[in-house]
Parts: sequence; C-alpha cells; structure tokens
Amino acid sequence: MILKVRGYIFSRSFMGERVPQHVQNLVIRDYCNRHNLHYLLSATEYAMKGCHLMLEQVLNELPELDGVVAYSLFQLPEETSARQRLYDKVIQLNKQFHFAVEGLQMNDCQECDRIETLWRVRQTLPFCQTF
Amino acid sequence: MFLTESEQQISAEYQCQGYIIRPVADLSALLWIREQFICLIQDALELIPDEQPDVLLNTIHERVSSANLNAFRLKIIRGINSLDNFRSMYFRVAQPYLETLVGNELSMQLRVNLSIQLPGDDSSLLPIHADTWSGDSPFEVVVWLPLVDCYGRKAMYLLPPEPAAQLNQEFAQRAVASSEELYQAISHQVQWLKVKYGEVLIFNQSLPHGNRVNTEPETRWSMNCRFKGVFTPYGDKKIGEFFEPITLRAVSQAGMRYHLPKL
Repeated sequence: MILKVRGYIFSRSFMGERVPQHVQNLVIRDYCNRHNLHYLLSATEYAMKGCHLMLEQVLNELPELDGVVAYSLFQLPEETSARQRLYDKVIQLNKQFHFAVEGLQMNDCQECDRIETLWRVRQTLPFCQTF
Repeated sequence: MFLTESEQQISAEYQCQGYIIRPVADLSALLWIREQFICLIQDALELIPDEQPDVLLNTIHERVSSANLNAFRLKIIRGINSLDNFRSMYFRVAQPYLETLVGNELSMQLRVNLSIQLPGDDSSLLPIHADTWSGDSPFEVVVWLPLVDCYGRKAMYLLPPEPAAQLNQEFAQRAVASSEELYQAISHQVQWLKVKYGEVLIFNQSLPHGNRVNTEPETRWSMNCRFKGVFTPYGDKKIGEFFEPITLRAVSQAGMRYHLPKL
C-alpha cells in the first residue's frame, strides 16, 4: 500500500536559512519518490514570524493522512513544548512525520529523542566560537 | 499626482474594489493564446479538430476525468510555458492596465499558472488565502485571464478591501480556524467576480481569495500570473527564481551599469 503524505514547506526563512519554495517542493517530491510515498500538494506555512498555523491545520488533517513530509526538521516550532505536542500527536495517531532534507523519519519516542538532540545542538551552535 | 483622468479612474477602482476587470488590451494576443491551448489539448487527447474552441474548453470534463485532471493540466501547462512568445502575449493582454496600476518597468512571473476546474470536482480547489500570507510581496498584482466565460461558482471570489482589513486586524484569533471555517465566517462578504472570455481581471493578491467547487455545468479554464515593479520590494518570490524583468527602460539599464570613475 502506498502511504499518502502531505508536504509542508516554509515561505519564510528558518534558523537563518532560506530555501525557495519550488526547491523545497522538489526535495520533498524526490524524497517521496525514493520512499514510495504518495505526495499530496504541500501546505505552505504563513510568512508571519513564529507562525505555525498551517502546521496546525496539517496536524488537524492527520487522521485522514498517513503522514507529513516537511522540508526540514528545523521548520518545526522553536518552543520545545510545541514540538513535544506535535510528537505526541503523531505517535498517538500512529502516523509518520518525515523530514526530507535530513532524510529522517519520526514515528516513535526514540526518533523524537534523536530529533530533539539535533534541535538542541542547532540551537546551541550560535553561541559556539566560530573560526 | 500627475495621472491622467483615465489613469485616476482605473487606480481608484483598483483601490476601492481590490480589482479591475477590463476588455483585453490586445485581442490578437488572446486569440493566439487560445489557439495554442486548443492545439495542445487536441494533441494531448488525440482529437480531430472539429469543435468550436469555446465548446471544447467548456466541455472538457466529458473527455478528462477528475482522476486524470492533474496529469492533463501539467501536460498543457508545460506545453504552453515552453512556447517562446507565450509570456509576451500574456503580458500584451494586460499591458496598459499594468502600466497604469503597477508601472512601466515590470517584473513578470517566470511560469504562468493554469487552473482547470471541472464541474463538481473538489480536487483542484484553492482554499481561502492571500498570496502575501505565504510570502508574496504586497507590491505584486495577479493578472487572471480566462479562456471561457467565468460566472457563478465557475469564477473566483475575492474579499473586498474593507472586510479584508478587518480580517487582518483579527488574524491571530480568526486564522486559528481551518480554511473552511474561515471561509464560512466571511462567505457573506466575499465578491464573486464575473469575468467573460475577452476580459482580463487584475486583482490585489494580498486580499483573501480562492474558489469553491464549480457547481456550474461547464469547465473553467483560467490562467494567472504575477507582475510587480522591477525595483519594488520582493517577498519570498525572488528575482531570477520566480520573477524576471520584462520592460527595463534605457535609463535604468544605464544606471545599473554606471560606476563612478576610480581615483
């Protein structure tokens, strides 16, 4: 059975990165092809800083989907508690959350920990000395 | 302002309504565009050319199922965008109106979009949105060009500037709802835009808009393409990757090349 997944892209920069929307879609489409996922047109997050309303709508739609493929895991909310709510929902509904550019997939607590570790490191890096 | 009377009129109409609808500025360009579409459709569906263009377009749902619609649409849109003159023809149908509303040094979207809405089909809907919410610059306009008469639910809707400003103020509270709930909340305020074949619609894409299931007995065919001033602020849709200058003027060309003499 081919799983139906909704794409999720950003229309603003995230963690100092900016990727054109059509490039985000290309990466997601390629990821879906390689993982045999049926890609449904991406929801585009609003441009307003800190906004995750489209992500909320995708999560509301989750019962009718098999999962979500975001362009990057760093498009998740910056607040730890908001990310935790997302993980809980995905696991509780027995769905999948994929991150195309990192090639990661999350559908259990172990994967959540792995993603949270990446988040903590990423949030720490700006305070590290650079050469 | 040193605008002519007709420029003032069109500008006031755009600001008041959020859109203008006018006869296409170059009918031969529109006819050329529609002819290219007919050729592409005949080729894609292996049809013998024996029908009037408007009949073929309006009844395409008799030949293309909802399941095959996206593949068909992609084939047509790739075909039309690959034609050398297409974007130039598209520009010509709206040129004087764009020059009045936007300016005479314009950037144009690289690829024109196509919407085909079969009667009763819910697979190609655009839920209520403003393009600016997903990163478009408020300095852009959309040129919306139908290939058939668009009326009733075969058309698109737009939320006029006044209720749109109200929605903007209450966005944090109201946008938490789903797109459908948001639409239901403002459905009594939206305006359905009747645009006949031979007319062009130019609208402010920062006003919420979208479409619903086409409950009319005919298929909608419409294209949309964004234009902005070359030197106005860009949003997430950047110069080069999404927009390209199409009418740069000599003085700007010279200015961009100019360097002060080195000492």
